Amino acid sequence: MAHNEAWPRAIILVDMNAFFAAIEQRDHAEWRGRAVAITNGLTGTCIITSSYEARAQGIRTGMRLREARRLCPDLIQCPARPGRYAEVSTRIMAELRSITPDVEVFSVDEAFLDVTHCQRLLGPPEQIARLTKAAVFKASGLLSSVGVSGDKTTAKYAAKLDKPDGLTVIPPWEARARLRDVPVTELCGIGPGIGAFLAARGVVTCGDMARLPIGVLAQRFGNPGRRIWFMAQGADPEPLRPDVPPPKTIGHGKVMPPDTRERDVIETYLLHMSEKVAARLRRHAMSAQHFSIGLRSRDGWLGERAQSTRPTHDGRVIMGLCRAMLAGQWRGQGVYQVQVTALDPRRAASQLTLFDDETAQGPSSNAAMDAINDRYGEFTLAPARLLNRSNMPNVIAPAWKPFGHRQTIQDAAADKTGG
Amino acid sequence: MKFAIEREAILKPLQTITGVVERRQTLPILSNILLSANGQGLSMTATDLEVEMIARLPTDINEGGDITLPARKMVDICKALPEGAIIDLTYDADKERATLKSGRSRFNLTTLPVSEFPNIDEVKGVFSFSVPQSVLKRLIDKTSFAMAQQDVRYYLNGLMIEVDNGVIRAVATDGHRLAVCEHTADVSPGEKIQVILPRKGVLELSRLLTDEDTPVNITIGNNHLCVTLGEYTFTSKLVDGKFPDYQRVIPRNSDKLVIADRERLRQALVRTSILSNEKYRGIRIHLEDGLLQAQANNPEMEEAEEEIEVDYTGPELDIGFNVGYLLDALNAIDTAHVNIAFGDANSSCVVQPEGDSGCTYVVMPMRL
Repeated sequence: MAHNEAWPRAIILVDMNAFFAAIEQRDHAEWRGRAVAITNGLTGTCIITSSYEARAQGIRTGMRLREARRLCPDLIQCPARPGRYAEVSTRIMAELRSITPDVEVFSVDEAFLDVTHCQRLLGPPEQIARLTKAAVFKASGLLSSVGVSGDKTTAKYAAKLDKPDGLTVIPPWEARARLRDVPVTELCGIGPGIGAFLAARGVVTCGDMARLPIGVLAQRFGNPGRRIWFMAQGADPEPLRPDVPPPKTIGHGKVMPPDTRERDVIETYLLHMSEKVAARLRRHAMSAQHFSIGLRSRDGWLGERAQSTRPTHDGRVIMGLCRAMLAGQWRGQGVYQVQVTALDPRRAASQLTLFDDETAQGPSSNAAMDAINDRYGEFTLAPARLLNRSNMPNVIAPAWKPFGHRQTIQDAAADKTGG
Repeated sequence: MKFAIEREAILKPLQTITGVVERRQTLPILSNILLSANGQGLSMTATDLEVEMIARLPTDINEGGDITLPARKMVDICKALPEGAIIDLTYDADKERATLKSGRSRFNLTTLPVSEFPNIDEVKGVFSFSVPQSVLKRLIDKTSFAMAQQDVRYYLNGLMIEVDNGVIRAVATDGHRLAVCEHTADVSPGEKIQVILPRKGVLELSRLLTDEDTPVNITIGNNHLCVTLGEYTFTSKLVDGKFPDYQRVIPRNSDKLVIADRERLRQALVRTSILSNEKYRGIRIHLEDGLLQAQANNPEMEEAEEEIEVDYTGPELDIGFNVGYLLDALNAIDTAHVNIAFGDANSSCVVQPEGDSGCTYVVMPMRL
């Protein structure tokens, strides 16, 4: 079979190597070639990620700083700068879009590109992959690992094979053979649970999958099960998802000082989270009517699902629900975590109402507050009580995206103001 | 207690009243129905503490008494017995068990103490009147679809019944659309009476009524509404709340009047709705001389367009609606033509059957 023709499908996965640590090493020339560990502020004790030099000495994500220092005494602790990472990620993703509009931002440091339709313009997939690496470098000065294949799962598997700064091509017609001896749990999306289910049916490597009837997976896992069957054979049918799907929930939580018993302090945390949830709902022109409000004590979560009169994106209304929860559920016991989540965020009501007394959308001062905070940073303007809010910095979630509701960290301004 | 009754005589009343019984109960007694037998026959009562329904059957009673029996099991057994079966019920007070026998079938049922069975206080009538049951059914069926469901404004989760001199009116709204239906009636309460019947009561009452012209007697008390129809008595608690001023939201001077063939418009909207956003169901309506266009698109960027000829001579108008609300109104109308009066793109429209039918539907638009 001659393979000079275009691939029927060509998918590229770009994975930034040790993304946060690489940014810090690029921004701080003196840290290059050294073991760097990123923590949440200087108060955070858990390692979020680390440089390749640190990894070589056994440092792992999730490790406690104290333990890491034992392994690597000259480890450099670097407080995370989520705003900076968001900024670099945004720039990289924008540059990738100059190659193809079909980009799925998979996480803050990973993206899929569907280049099927660029082959005539840009050449064979391997050449486009080189362009991709160059684009990442141009946008950020960072190295990346790139996998190229005919489907998302194989491309992601390929990118893992050569790190850092790798480029691995698995042509679609070789995918099945290349995966044959790979354990199924190596594939993205097959966790230990599904792995055990498959192992019990004699499927350990991807090559074993063909012997298992697809119906067995479909019956247990539905359509995702069918997808797994195809994935293992180098034929993942999953298309790219360039749009961020609408959120199922929008929530914020925070850890409080251990055994907090002062009503005032708890209310300040609840207000802080209420205002964050409300501002985020407003930023995406959404409202919600059902909220889950929780406080974590040593005996577990207490809290409730609360319902507002009308869909709302006003922090005061959400805080009202928090107060009701506090009055009804909290008996003065020590708590150490708060969570406020909008359970049914939807596009703010475009349906007009008959009785005007029910426009519980909140005062227009919210719009002024949002405009100021967009420009000068989160909580530049906020209820006075939030002067006493927690100064633990915001954390960037792996699911962060440069646009849409997952853009929880906006830009460098957010770092200066803290959470 | 001991009596025998034909399956056909007991099955329908039993099914009618057990609609009231909730499937999931916190109080075990509410899963049961109360059976009372005496010289006048058998009476059966079901309740959920809010709605109570009683059916009375004239039948020969061998031995009187009161017992309670599991409602659903009783219905299922009677339903599953062959046509024409004679059902024989006896109660053994020592064992607190009832035995239901029919032919060679035999069922032993648990009972719960009659004293636990809640009964709604006697309704102190404030005002009583009679209307043909078809009128009451029509008032409910033309409006009840617009009631809210589980709205925090609990007074919207029901049907407002208004009795004024010479007229009885039903009004339902969920805050987005409103349905009003009125009918002349020989009533003179002096002062206007407004009560809100809770959603479940409305649905159960509608099930009870038929299109016949036999009279129903309606008694409105301070906290209850009671309807007597032949051998049935329906009693419901009232919602304690103030219904919004519906008169205020019925636009009186919408100038853009459209007259359309109801069925053609309905079918066009049904087809358009297929490609509207499943969650918000928004469609765009465009009006111009003699023409109504409906257009919808969904998140997949698919698009539907319909065009129908209508009687319209006003200026062009573009307005968005939840297509479900328009269809609900069109479905409730039974005339060949329908009149729709629009204001501007941010004002509600009024949908009415042709002629003077007493029904009015108000739908608020969506911003598109």
